[in-house]
Amino acid sequence: MTSLEKIDNEFQERDYSIQQEAEIEIKIENVSVQFPDNNGGEPVTALQNVNLEIRQGEFISLLGPSGCGKTTLIRAIADLQPITTGKISVRGLSPKEIRLQKKYGIVFQSPVLYDWRTVRRNVCMPMELMGMPKKDRTARVTKMLELVGLMEFGNHYPHELSGGMQQRVGIARALAIRPEILLMDEPFSALDEFTKEKLHEDLLRIWRKTNKTIIFVTHNIQEAVFLSDRVVVLSPHPGRVSAVVDIDIPRPRTLEMKESVEFNALVSKVRNSFEGV
Amino acid sequence: MNTESKKKSSNRLVTFTWIIGIILIWEIGATIIANTKRSPENVLPHLWQIIQSVFNPNFVNGTQTAFQIVISNAGITLLRAGIGFLIGAGIGFILALIMNMFNPVEKTLYPYLMIIQMIPILGMAPIVLAVTKDINKSRIVIAAILTFYPVATNTLAGFKSVEHEKHELMHSLAASQFEIYRKLMIPSSMPYFFTGLKISAPMAITASILVDTLQGGGGLGCMLSQSLKHATTIYIFWQIVFLSALIGIGSFYLMSLIERLVSPYKRAKKAKR
Repeated sequence: MTSLEKIDNEFQERDYSIQQEAEIEIKIENVSVQFPDNNGGEPVTALQNVNLEIRQGEFISLLGPSGCGKTTLIRAIADLQPITTGKISVRGLSPKEIRLQKKYGIVFQSPVLYDWRTVRRNVCMPMELMGMPKKDRTARVTKMLELVGLMEFGNHYPHELSGGMQQRVGIARALAIRPEILLMDEPFSALDEFTKEKLHEDLLRIWRKTNKTIIFVTHNIQEAVFLSDRVVVLSPHPGRVSAVVDIDIPRPRTLEMKESVEFNALVSKVRNSFEGV
Repeated sequence: MNTESKKKSSNRLVTFTWIIGIILIWEIGATIIANTKRSPENVLPHLWQIIQSVFNPNFVNGTQTAFQIVISNAGITLLRAGIGFLIGAGIGFILALIMNMFNPVEKTLYPYLMIIQMIPILGMAPIVLAVTKDINKSRIVIAAILTFYPVATNTLAGFKSVEHEKHELMHSLAASQFEIYRKLMIPSSMPYFFTGLKISAPMAITASILVDTLQGGGGLGCMLSQSLKHATTIYIFWQIVFLSALIGIGSFYLMSLIERLVSPYKRAKKAKR
């Protein structure tokens, strides 16, 4: 199989019927995270006794107000934040082992692009770290830019792009190494409403094509409901899971669905499951 | 495009006004001094006299014209300053790298670096000469000492200014320490490194000239102090003054030019504005 065929195989359409029986990919058991207080007082509990199972290929949102620990949780999964007690296992391994295998793709709140590299070379960077041959890298970069709709901008520098386009580059870079799990930490929160809606549609299209597990952190209820299979509602002080809401709106989803009765009922259901806000 | 060309032409206007202003003040000064009877005739010559002296074909010391003397000595000074600058920039960069990698090294080394900077260059010159026992080498060392500090401190600031999220990105990709420096830290500190170079390039040259005036062995500074003593060679003095200024400014722009060549994204930025 040539490298290009391999990439093409990656883009087979998702079959929604299997998804429900998919195996558990990430298991979070009794996880607590405490931050030591700098003034010598009581440590701050960012997360308390979180239990969660995430299925392979699932789109799951961690939703909550600031201080609810949603970012702490995704960072713990990404091995960017040590946990105080409990256990996280990803495909039977620790988050660190998965990270070292380069199985995570991360999209941050800001695009975190290297301003001295062109768009193409930004997307290329993780593949350079993997020691991928140059020919394969070039082919993959082209494919990725096509996927996020930035083909004409390959040779531009990040500062020449709009915020939405920069975030697309970040997504392309995260997907370039074909991660098993895509972790997105409030990726669209700095964007305007119009750009955001466009990127929602694009993200769902990319997800359908790539069949990744996506963990998506947000504080926007509509966003979480529109994108996800399940919404994990977190409440603050201390950060904990207060509800997990199944979103059974059919896929593929379109922006018009946001006006449906079904959608709005789910939005209220999610809103009502917050505790102590 | 229109506003850009407008901005450019207004920049040119500012430069033009400056040059005209300096010429005017100079000429007024030269005229006043020429009219005060007591001063020696040539203390502040007119600009045209200096320019004329550049093209004067008469030999000053039997074999060379004034301008030939200036140019040959400028070559000596530039070579010393240039070699010293390159060594200093290299040492400065490596020091920044080591200090950033090993925190204790930074804490121990930094005060010493500052102390070295505190010693006046004129006080350091005899010490360096005593150690190196060679005029050429000592000038190179002086230029290097002056260069490494701005380069080291600026580059170190560049390493420290790399955003936390960029480090986390590299961490999430399981990048090695070497890869982090190669792909992230060093490219991202380049603007800071070049700021250091832009500060130290004119300094290396000025220091070289200054130290020349103390000790013999040729060079612009040496000529400068010798030519000041005789009315016949006063034009050499003024030629050197102007040439040194030009070299200093030139060295700054040379660094900017190199920076734009190595960092093409800066060019893109400029073109957009």
